[in-house]
Amino acid sequence: MRADRPDQRIEMDSGALAHFMPMHLLLDSEGRALSYGPTLARVLQDAARSGALFEELYEVRSPGGAVTIDEVLARGGHRFRLMPRNGLRAGLRGLGLRLPGSGAVLVNLSFGIDLTTAVRELALTDADFAATDLAMELLYMAEANAAVTRELRGLNLRLEGARIAAEEEALTDPLTGLRNRRAADLVLDRLCSARAGFGLLHMDLDYFKAVNDELGHAAGDFVLETVGRILRDQLRAEDCAARVGGDEFVIIVANRTDPRTLQAIAERIIARISQPMEFEGRICRVSASIGIVRSTDLALPEPPQLLAAADRALYAAKHAGRGRAVLLAPTGE
Amino acid sequence: MRDSVVRETVLGSEMDALLLRSLQSYVIDTFGPDRWQAVCRRAELAVSTFEPMLHYDLGTADRIAQVAAEVLGRPVDAIWEDVGIHLVTHPDREGIRRLLRFGGVSFADFLHSLEELPGRARLALPDLDVPEVTLDELGEDRFELRCQSPLRATQRVLIGLLLAMADDYGALCVISAEAGDCTSIAVLDRGHAKGRRFDLAVPEG
Repeated sequence: MRADRPDQRIEMDSGALAHFMPMHLLLDSEGRALSYGPTLARVLQDAARSGALFEELYEVRSPGGAVTIDEVLARGGHRFRLMPRNGLRAGLRGLGLRLPGSGAVLVNLSFGIDLTTAVRELALTDADFAATDLAMELLYMAEANAAVTRELRGLNLRLEGARIAAEEEALTDPLTGLRNRRAADLVLDRLCSARAGFGLLHMDLDYFKAVNDELGHAAGDFVLETVGRILRDQLRAEDCAARVGGDEFVIIVANRTDPRTLQAIAERIIARISQPMEFEGRICRVSASIGIVRSTDLALPEPPQLLAAADRALYAAKHAGRGRAVLLAPTGE
Repeated sequence: MRDSVVRETVLGSEMDALLLRSLQSYVIDTFGPDRWQAVCRRAELAVSTFEPMLHYDLGTADRIAQVAAEVLGRPVDAIWEDVGIHLVTHPDREGIRRLLRFGGVSFADFLHSLEELPGRARLALPDLDVPEVTLDELGEDRFELRCQSPLRATQRVLIGLLLAMADDYGALCVISAEAGDCTSIAVLDRGHAKGRRFDLAVPEG
């Protein structure tokens, strides 16, 4: 069977045409409307009058320069784009054909990508589209994709929450609730690259090994937790206290470079830690030694140099007897 | 059974993920978060939230539903039917009802559209492995639906969806699970009630 037999003519009454092409427009040879498909009539509303001129109904967007249906057909009848002149925000896409004999023109139109707008503004239903039209599938797909995107956005938010929680955990020392070495390194990096002024305290507990050996690890843990609480009490939110080893701590005091202030903070911490701590009826006695360095002590403060300087100050403090705070001599570096 | 702890996997099942999330929403919305926590504890889950867009081991949904049946004291089939109803009727999940309503203007159209369900699902989620559905029209208003799925849950969830959608279209029908994967549907009254309104486009804003 051949689909293109030239002698094969079909005749169709307007009812059948409306059924197959609910968005057709039939124009006479002068370009005046003879009939409208029912859906196109809804699109054009009051403008869908018998005898209306094609160019009164539509503005031609492409092919450019065409105004009348004759010009449209002459320049690109196989595919054109129109905008209804009645203010509807949806463009139309179509093709046209001059019928033999009468010279009438049959134009068939569809909503392209503006389908959703048209359906919303005209409250179109399933019945307004031919059964072969993919409009339903397009509307369905737009909604399905929106639903999937919404789910993915939800998933992203939940994963982001989990990531923040995991990151928080990765920066915290679980025993004392203080920050850990990684967190202290991050803060030091940030402050150094911002050229901020700050004090760095390197603290080591005295007699901690004795508590562990004589009273057991539970007592040792209790001491570390208590030290954590003391440091949190003594420092401000913008400061950073980290446990960086067994009984070794790093304290970063933000925006403080005055030697007396830093010395006073260190001595206050030592005084609090030196108070006897009671664990299950036994008394734990520890103290602390602190080495202090200021970011301003170094010409070009970098974390490794600062930590090494604080370590030297701590060594000097231990050497001078326990329970002391020693500030690095300004000429030290 | 310690090895059966739930894992999110790359190659696992998307259907299990969707079923698990639906089950989670149903239990939380209907019985409260505490009962869902109880289900998760009893199933020895490391987490209590299932992600619909991730994958879980094949069969996880059926296993967790069995635990939910024990915790809630209800048969597992009844739970899955309720999950299907909940998916369509819960106001938070209006999207699913709308997607199903695109199937057609009448309940019969909707039933016929179920054969397109795998294709429709793939439009949205290309790697979703939705089981094939076939609908036989035995006579006027009498249908048989078959859905071959490795998951026990599928048939019961489908029955719940059908019950809720019949209501949505205002049709009165009897839906029952038959032997194998077969579900029989008898529409007693197409216009039993008014049915819910369905606009093709979601109103703006």
